[in-house]
Amino acid sequence: MKDARLKATAALGALLALLTPAPALAHIGVALGLQSGILHPITGLDHVAAMVAVGLWGAQLGNPAIWVLPIAFPLVMALGGLLGMSGVVLALPEEAVALSGIVLGVLVALHARPQLWIAAVIVSVFAVFHGYAHGRELPYAADPLAFGVGFVVATGLLHLCGILIGLLVRMPLGERVIRACGAAVGCVGAYFLLAALGAIG
Amino acid sequence: MRAIVRRLAATFALVGAPANAHAHLVNTRLGDFYGGMLHPLTGFQDPLPWLALAILAALQGPRRARWLLVAFPVGLLVGGGLSLIAPGVSFIPLLDVALIALIGMAVAAAVVMPLPAVIGLGVVIGLAHGYQNGQAMTESTDHLLFISGVTAIGYASITMATACATAFLQGSGSWRLLALRASGSWVAAVGIMAFGLQFVAPATH
Amino acid sequence: MIGFLQGLGGGRRRFMLFAMAALSAAFLVPARPTSAHEASMAVMVLREVGPGRYLGQWSMPPIDERLRPIFPEHCAWDPPELDCGERGFVGTLSFMGLGSKQSVAMFRVFPLEGPAQAYTVSAANPIVTAARDPGRDIGAWLNLADTYVNLGIDHILRGIDHLLFVLGLIWLVRDRWMLVRTITAFTVAHSLSLAAATFGWVGVPERPLNATIALSIVFVGVEIVKLQRGQVGLAARYPWVVAFAFGLLHGLGFATALTTLGIPQTTLPFALLFFNIGVEIGQLAFVFVVLALIWAHHRVEATLPRWGAVLPAYAIGSIAAFWFLVRV
Repeated sequence: MKDARLKATAALGALLALLTPAPALAHIGVALGLQSGILHPITGLDHVAAMVAVGLWGAQLGNPAIWVLPIAFPLVMALGGLLGMSGVVLALPEEAVALSGIVLGVLVALHARPQLWIAAVIVSVFAVFHGYAHGRELPYAADPLAFGVGFVVATGLLHLCGILIGLLVRMPLGERVIRACGAAVGCVGAYFLLAALGAIG
Repeated sequence: MRAIVRRLAATFALVGAPANAHAHLVNTRLGDFYGGMLHPLTGFQDPLPWLALAILAALQGPRRARWLLVAFPVGLLVGGGLSLIAPGVSFIPLLDVALIALIGMAVAAAVVMPLPAVIGLGVVIGLAHGYQNGQAMTESTDHLLFISGVTAIGYASITMATACATAFLQGSGSWRLLALRASGSWVAAVGIMAFGLQFVAPATH
Repeated sequence: MIGFLQGLGGGRRRFMLFAMAALSAAFLVPARPTSAHEASMAVMVLREVGPGRYLGQWSMPPIDERLRPIFPEHCAWDPPELDCGERGFVGTLSFMGLGSKQSVAMFRVFPLEGPAQAYTVSAANPIVTAARDPGRDIGAWLNLADTYVNLGIDHILRGIDHLLFVLGLIWLVRDRWMLVRTITAFTVAHSLSLAAATFGWVGVPERPLNATIALSIVFVGVEIVKLQRGQVGLAARYPWVVAFAFGLLHGLGFATALTTLGIPQTTLPFALLFFNIGVEIGQLAFVFVVLALIWAHHRVEATLPRWGAVLPAYAIGSIAAFWFLVRV
């Protein structure tokens, strides 16, 4: 498992190295920080899946969730980041992310429409743990601000992916596609939960 | 994961080392004016809040936004001058990151501001950034050219960004406002974390 | 030219992006005409006195005395003697201490046999390679292109008077197609006169030339003011004619920068070509940035009020008039 992730990181790193803005212009630290910031969220499949599910669910829920989620999510995530930086130890972070993947996936698959505040709480739990995982890395980045920007850009783009897929909701077949995506996210979450608990991998 | 990031960082630091040696020569290539122009673009601490400030101004409509085109460069110029007169004010970096979070949140909330507040914010951010960039000057730097360069790039960036954000908002669809507000929220997230970092002593790793 | 740009590789293209950003407000610079146009270059001449043995001395001494040449490792540098032994004068050359005072320095090498050679070291291009026969070496040609394209960009970006003239033209010509024609006319004209002056077909003393260039900018300023008062002058009616005429003048100005570098005759046509390409790149970037900024100002309704519309023209005119007086 770890090995696969390492390989993915290396491959993406090589890819991004080709795209990195001119090291001759930018200070090398900025390029490095940005790079690791971008890589960080997208190399963890559990984070990717849950993030896409947030976008999907937002689109599924429609107004007002579709605009509350993308605006509130980063702020809650930043609070999680602060926790991570300050050295507070949250119990079982990996399990929590995997679990939120399962919950979000299942909710999307069931096309559940709870009240907004309940949805907000569920997404917030994930946001806090997602931010926490990255906040722990932030102080050690080559350029923390660039790391923050990269991490936020990557997360935001994943969000956007989810919302764009979610726009399929307007089509009859699209509705089913989205629910299938939700189910897939749930499966990914389940896999990672089992892996985190040591049952597989 | 942390180990991987570190390994990656080490690898790229090695690969990037020769390029790093050139990095500072670029500053001198076209004289201190261009050195001043380039300086704010070497990291995110300037472009990020500038972008957010431009979006915030665009949200106020062109009639109020346009004052930023004057207020902000004037702030930069004066801030650069202050860095010569009174160097070493220690709270400026903290103020800078706090401002990133603040402007980001204002954009996320789509705050409507009166004109004096728009101008005031532009001047304050200009002062802080002009000061911070001015600190990068050395003995041999031509101060006037460098500060002019910082002011010029600040003026050009804020003008272009405000105009682009205004043009973007004037298109059809409510999602445009939403997209700008979301971007403000992301800026705020970066700002909050960077602000928090100021209080975290980098522990041994 | 676009193909050439791509051929230049990532670094150059990124530099172009920087240059475009950098240019954006160049007209705000508090002008320093005196420093703007002196070729701030140091030149070290190396004459071969025996096989592999050279005598070196500054023909144009550096502004900063700490500037030191760095020779290939197998060469022993004991000023003013340089002994490169049997391997001869090949390898990497550099200068230590290039900085804000001095951004460009050059080695001119006069071997016992064969033509003289020149190697230009700049802050952006801090290491050059000396080869025995640059005539057939691709790398040497790329080095030449790299050096002179950058010198061209460098020259136009520092040449605030040229940029001010171009700004005046943009201000004067509001019709898009006419602007394209005008800028093209200016480009063709200054390329022609640059070539003519570099090959030594025409020669104009520097001081009156610079004064006349300043005067050309005053002229454009006056034409803008006239136009805003409703009088359509010569420049407003036939801007490309004016651009062509004054372009010839500005080209002579570019040439003085190029000729002071002392380029060997063999590489002169190519050095000239690359230098000119660099100038055009810089000029185009400037034009695009100015147009973008004009668009931006209209977009946020930040245009000058009626009473202030003539201010920029007066500003351009008075700065140029000041230069004229200084240069005369």
